[in-house]
Amino acid sequence: MKKRKVNPLSRVFVKLLGNEKYQVITIPVFAILLSLVVGAAVIAALGKDPVSAYLNLLQGCGIWPKQKYAGGKSMLTDFFSFMNYWTPMIFASLAVAVALKAGLFNIGVSGQMLAAGFVSTILVGYSSLAAPIAKPLVIVVAIIVGGLVGAFIGWLKYKFNINEVVSSIMINYIIQYVVAFLINTKYVDPVSRQSTNVSDASRLTLMSTEIGGFKYDIPLGIVLAIIVAFVIKFVFDKTTFGYEIKTVGLNRKAAQYAGINVGRNMVTAMLISGALSGLAGATYYLGYFCSIQPKVLSSTGFDAIAVSLLGNSNPLGILLSSFLISIMGKGKTYMSSSAGLDAEIASVITGLILLFSACGAFIQYLVKRSKENIAEIEKANKAEVDK
Amino acid sequence: MVDKIIIDGLSFGLPLFVMAIGGIYSERSGITNLALEGLQGAGAFVGALVAFFMMQSLGANSQIPYYAAMLFAMLGGMLYAMLHGLLCVKFKADQVISGVVINILAMALTEFLTKVVNRVAFGKPSNKFELGVSKRWTVPGLSEIPVIGAFFKDIYPFEVIIIVVAVVAWYVLYRTKFGLHLRACGDNPHAVDAAGIDVAKIRFIAVMVSGALSGLAGMSFAYSISANYSSGIYVGYGYLSIAALIFGNWKIVPTLAACMLFGFANSAGHQLVQAAGLPSSYSDLIMILPYVLTMLLLVFFSKHNDAPKALGEIYDKGKR
Repeated sequence: MKKRKVNPLSRVFVKLLGNEKYQVITIPVFAILLSLVVGAAVIAALGKDPVSAYLNLLQGCGIWPKQKYAGGKSMLTDFFSFMNYWTPMIFASLAVAVALKAGLFNIGVSGQMLAAGFVSTILVGYSSLAAPIAKPLVIVVAIIVGGLVGAFIGWLKYKFNINEVVSSIMINYIIQYVVAFLINTKYVDPVSRQSTNVSDASRLTLMSTEIGGFKYDIPLGIVLAIIVAFVIKFVFDKTTFGYEIKTVGLNRKAAQYAGINVGRNMVTAMLISGALSGLAGATYYLGYFCSIQPKVLSSTGFDAIAVSLLGNSNPLGILLSSFLISIMGKGKTYMSSSAGLDAEIASVITGLILLFSACGAFIQYLVKRSKENIAEIEKANKAEVDK
Repeated sequence: MVDKIIIDGLSFGLPLFVMAIGGIYSERSGITNLALEGLQGAGAFVGALVAFFMMQSLGANSQIPYYAAMLFAMLGGMLYAMLHGLLCVKFKADQVISGVVINILAMALTEFLTKVVNRVAFGKPSNKFELGVSKRWTVPGLSEIPVIGAFFKDIYPFEVIIIVVAVVAWYVLYRTKFGLHLRACGDNPHAVDAAGIDVAKIRFIAVMVSGALSGLAGMSFAYSISANYSSGIYVGYGYLSIAALIFGNWKIVPTLAACMLFGFANSAGHQLVQAAGLPSSYSDLIMILPYVLTMLLLVFFSKHNDAPKALGEIYDKGKR
């Protein structure tokens, strides 16, 4: 019998990704690298230098130094404004993840963000309250409004068996139109055609704050976002409450049989999910922005679904995945102006990253198969030698 | 006024309906399809691209680009849907993730390509393809009947195409062996497999059908509401038709009712604002009508709302 040879490429493949203990990390990283390579090929096909385009993305986010900075700006300025952009994405993705743990699909994050952002805007943003009162109040109002909308969706599901996807979509539209109506009739800025800007005191981002000769937009929400991510991680890993919600998500009937109150857990999960969406709304409409464009739902709530799943619905994974996706979103403006590439190419690469990551299970399967394949060939070869 | 409500209601409701049928095909076969939004956009992009190039050589008066657009939108949607099929059926990806990712990718790709094509082929910076509004037909005689006549007045040609497609789709799903197998795949794929039928193949075809029908819907929207193709096509019609099909309990006829509800409530709202002489900002308030109505109806009709049993489950032969 002829001696069969192992394909060296598949040996490398198995060596890198074969360890099942680290596959949670290695496979997504592999998928991301793969998509960056494909993205680089696309950029190269357009006749531009992919490496400098990728560097531009990082430079636009203050993660890599630019060649020169305008007066009063530094790398840290860019990084702060990146964090400002990143914050709502963290909250929104956490919102999706919490609902997902309970087996519910919250496609209404954008609507909940808008409702919370709007109510905080008119209640606090247009008031003359001083910053130390206004800022916490914005957060409280946003949590309450977002939480109520979320809980309402959960309650409809529990009480009337209304599919949460349908009710979320309907409520998205209702919020979008009602807010547009109120803005256009009462709160519109005649020049920008958006809602009037909120007061600086209520805004969760300290705009153009001068420290040591440089100006920064300091997002206060980011601290909260990171703390919240760890709290959620703790709640789901270590508490009875988190365990109950996860059980409901995995098997509703089994949970009920085990004496868990399924309805209450679904409503609570949606309440928390909505509250997180509310925080996303506050940091988006009264942080990154300071006004609301009528009749537009932000795409953050929809992107968050993918970001959350890319992070494996794990709060710490979400911090990483939202960081990555936000780099694409934030850095593309600088890349477009600096490299002369269409900003949309960054969105295409984002799409590719998500696409390849969605194939994680398949990559895992491929690794497993080539591992078995190699083992089989080696066994056969060994038997040959022994004979 | 009633005439106008019916005319506009149909031209909005029917494309939603045909997209929802696509969704029903996919979901009844067991594949969750949140990708409708992306499929309609990607399909319409291909259709609009073909029509736009044909218009350059055939002139604006020719009707050929219009029908070619419909055909190519279906083909384009089908082709793009294969990506969803590949991910869900072959790569065993999570179907919800796949759907959302397909949407995000569709938006990014079509926006990017529209810009590139405009720049490279026509040398102008534009992010849309101007298509114009489609011609309309009026059936002589029938359209004279009071009230009901409106169903035969000012109809877009795509409405006729959609009705034909819908009837065929209904027949195939409920009256043919293939339709039976498809529905069985969504309820008990193991039984289908045991009967010697290829579950993966049926599901893949179902997803392709949903792509084709969504493409047709997207093209119809491009030719009626917006009169051009741009990223403005992604305003959530796909999600709306998903809502309609769930509301319609994954059955074609009740879904038609749901879509007509959306269509007529929508056009009635517009007419109401106009008739009452209210400022245009009030139309926003009236626009919540279809959605509030749906919510109320759902309260009464959701008791027996049951998704196909194996919906969203990755089919694994070894698992029992």
